[in-house]
Amino acid sequence: MIDYLETNRRRFSGISSLLYIDAKLFVPIVFITFLGLITIYSSSSGDIALVIKQFTRIVIGVVVMIFLAQINPDNLKLFAPVLYFTTILLLILVLLFGVGKSADRWLDLYFIRFQPSELMKIFVPLMLATYYADKPLPPRTKYIFIAIAIVIVPVLLIMRQPDLGTALLIGMSGAIAILLAGMSLKFFIGSSISFAALIPILWMNMHSYQKQRVITFFNPESDPLGSGYHLMQSKIALGSGGFFGKGLLNGTQSKLGFVPEHSTDFIFTAFGEEFGFLGILILMSLYLFIALRGLSISIKATDNFGRILTGTLSLTIFLYVLVNVGMVIGFLPVVGAPLPFMSYGGTSMVTLFATFGIIMSIKSHQRILRK
Amino acid sequence: MKTKARSDSIRKRRNIEEKYSWDRISDSDSERKSHKSRAIVAAGIVLLFFITYIFKLYEVQVSDHEYYSVKSDSNRIRIRPVQATRGIIYDRAGKILAENINTFDLIIKKERISDIDLLLQKLSRLMSIDKAKQENLKEQFMNRRLKDLTIIEDITLDEYSKIAVDQHIVPSIELAPKSKRKYLSPLSTSHIIGYVGKVSDDDLESDVVKIHEGMTEIGKIGLERFYQNILSGEPGYEKLETDALGEVIRTIETKEPIRGKDVYLTIDLDMQNYIYEMVKDKEGAVVVMNPNNGDILSFVSFPGYDTNLFTKSISQKDYSGLINNKRKPLINRVISGQYPPGSTLKPFIGLIALDENIIDSSKLVNCDGAYELKNHKRPFKCWKKTGHGDADLSYSLTQSCDVFFYRVAELTGIDTISEKLYKYGFGQKTYLDMYGEKDGLIPDRAWKRKTKQEPWYPGETLNVGIGQGYFLATPMQLTLSTAVLAKDGLTFTPHILSSYQDTKKNKLYKYLPDQNKFIVNMPEQYHLEIVKRAMWRVVNEKGVGTASNMKKVGNIEYAGKTGTAQVYSLDAGKSDKKQLQDHALFISYAPYENPEIIVTVIVEHGGGGSTTAAPIARNIIDFYMKRKTQKVSMHD
Repeated sequence: MIDYLETNRRRFSGISSLLYIDAKLFVPIVFITFLGLITIYSSSSGDIALVIKQFTRIVIGVVVMIFLAQINPDNLKLFAPVLYFTTILLLILVLLFGVGKSADRWLDLYFIRFQPSELMKIFVPLMLATYYADKPLPPRTKYIFIAIAIVIVPVLLIMRQPDLGTALLIGMSGAIAILLAGMSLKFFIGSSISFAALIPILWMNMHSYQKQRVITFFNPESDPLGSGYHLMQSKIALGSGGFFGKGLLNGTQSKLGFVPEHSTDFIFTAFGEEFGFLGILILMSLYLFIALRGLSISIKATDNFGRILTGTLSLTIFLYVLVNVGMVIGFLPVVGAPLPFMSYGGTSMVTLFATFGIIMSIKSHQRILRK
Repeated sequence: MKTKARSDSIRKRRNIEEKYSWDRISDSDSERKSHKSRAIVAAGIVLLFFITYIFKLYEVQVSDHEYYSVKSDSNRIRIRPVQATRGIIYDRAGKILAENINTFDLIIKKERISDIDLLLQKLSRLMSIDKAKQENLKEQFMNRRLKDLTIIEDITLDEYSKIAVDQHIVPSIELAPKSKRKYLSPLSTSHIIGYVGKVSDDDLESDVVKIHEGMTEIGKIGLERFYQNILSGEPGYEKLETDALGEVIRTIETKEPIRGKDVYLTIDLDMQNYIYEMVKDKEGAVVVMNPNNGDILSFVSFPGYDTNLFTKSISQKDYSGLINNKRKPLINRVISGQYPPGSTLKPFIGLIALDENIIDSSKLVNCDGAYELKNHKRPFKCWKKTGHGDADLSYSLTQSCDVFFYRVAELTGIDTISEKLYKYGFGQKTYLDMYGEKDGLIPDRAWKRKTKQEPWYPGETLNVGIGQGYFLATPMQLTLSTAVLAKDGLTFTPHILSSYQDTKKNKLYKYLPDQNKFIVNMPEQYHLEIVKRAMWRVVNEKGVGTASNMKKVGNIEYAGKTGTAQVYSLDAGKSDKKQLQDHALFISYAPYENPEIIVTVIVEHGGGGSTTAAPIARNIIDFYMKRKTQKVSMHD
């Protein structure tokens, strides 16, 4: 009936196909990381050491991406449960032995310090895709409940850290995966409502600073010098940038310290101040392009595993962009969420490249249906 | 395409699945299609979000650009005022009365304070901060005009070195250099110069002072207030770029302050101090004025107070000490002390009567020690119980006979008296260059009806005739009225400013007395001579004049009139209790021919004018004349 034949590798020639790399994804990503480097350089008032550190991470990320792109998706499927459960274990370890400032999310393994919660951003979609790979779709109700369990366990663990932002993002990526798997909308709306009913319980379990952030989001004036201050300063920075921006190295808001975290969570603000609406439009279009390209790969994927995984991952990346940008322009409360490929930070950068490595692997290893 | 057989087999399989609750067999075609449609919907949602975000970003970055631009600048740009140096105040000889000295304040810049309560808590570990100080600091913090919080004013090196050891507790404290006002003769000149203080809300509402942006100090009272706009100059500013912590990154723009102008007064500091030394243990006022141009040579309201206390935030203890002081040192008695002039009013009453042809120089009134008024129970007493016998105007002035003036006042009537007294400057401001001047009071029928709801009684006219009753005058008014008399009507508005100098442009602006001159329409010259001659007799006719028993002044002659204003009751003069004693007054001008100075002396509860006030005036005239001859001989 169905013949699995060749990988599409041979249909193309050139370096990108040789490396199983998708140039249409890779070029915009590299361009975004380049913009990130410039912004870090500018907002740190020319701290070249910081730029080099970030550049190193990008290089590591690219290497990881190329490596993952070589791996046959079948192997990923094979390792998914191991990776997922190991990371669950790591999350428990973080709760027990974590290091870090206010929120303990780091695990110090002597040779490397990393955030297991970041890994879950890949492993939850991977696990779900693996789980649905050999199930008939749309999934039956009992498979949906198991899928929800796969999502909810890491989400609760991460929430305990406490890292509400990442927990919600992973929860949403799980929801996207289950939706893409073909869950009926009726069921989705029903379960969303029942989760909404759980919000009061969530609220009671939230830390006071998390509660404060939510309160501030709904009423920014209540805390003009706290989180509301950050949001206000962020909008001032963006707004004062205007259409063409203040120009490279001229972003006063970021450089003089009015915008907090100008290299990490608020890097979008720093970028927008110096490059203006024009720069922002280009940057956002790049993200849009990446998301649409990911979805197109997902549509063309030949099996459920590939479809669900690529679709979920590319939508999740765009979701990160929406959450980060929504935060700096006041659409969403200030949660600690990095801007993909821009924000200064190691784990996030490598995880993101890994994500696209997986997408590329699926794209370049897909089997062509021979008529 | 599905064949009929294939769809049949799928249906069969479904039935079995449902029956045995098996997993369905995968239908890859429908799975692909379902995924595609969901992915396309997802792409649509992605696009929708993208557009929404871009719209929002457009609104923030392009539509509201102006608004955020201003906000961004006000974020990073701080304007720090640079205070202008205040002009120096000199006396007529160029002696310094008020200058500026450099001191240091211990301050915290407000932009470095995030939580005032926390700061206070930390500060209290550095130094002792009592409740009042705490309130004061909070007040300073709330006052938006102040850019700094002043913790300790005029800090000494010792105090600072103690604090500097623990400065890490509050790293934001710093020393700020400050130009501070200093008064060199604070007690004797307190009521002339006044003092400066921090700009208050009242100052902002005042329309007599111009308040420049960034000004923190302002003249509060005295000439510091009256000539505030000349003395203050204009503050400059520094436009600074600061970071979020308030650290200065760079200076964007500077505007130099404009120095205040130096002011030269007509005051003769030596004379002022000489007078103050004489009277500092008493209460009252002394004015010395040159009637030929209105120059105020001395302006002494005593006791004075230490104006230097006010340039620092005055302590509550010092302030209440001054407020509650029974001697009332804060009152400027020269312009706001209103006294019954007593017999010093008699020359003017006499002049009015002569001018109205009610009496002439030979008109005699018999004084037997008291004057009977119709329908009035008690007789009006003369100070001399035995009486003066038949007395004419000149003798009555020389002897200060009360009965004569009771009679004259009765004949003249209150309407004429009140109308004509106004001409000599009573009942109105002298328009001296100082705020807070009182009008004095010339009582008349209308005033009585209005304030007391009573008709005017004839007996009250008699009291006005001897400068008693409701009649009130300030020492400054008496001085001006005496000048009108001494100069036969040619009068100059009294003034303390002589000139002011713009040191930058090197330009001197002089006060021009001729522009403030007026001529009082005086009675016939020979009428005037009668009164002036009588005032000469007061001082010079041995044994007759009420002030004739004093030592002569060099080789000049001067004229004057004593006054004893009765306070509370007629018998009060005999009481030993100070509060019940009469005010002693003396008006005078010297020399008799071509007068150069008018001297007015009022000593509260000083007893008789001849015994207390006249000798002070005599010494002042002596001082003036001696210095004049010294100067002349120096020139020779």
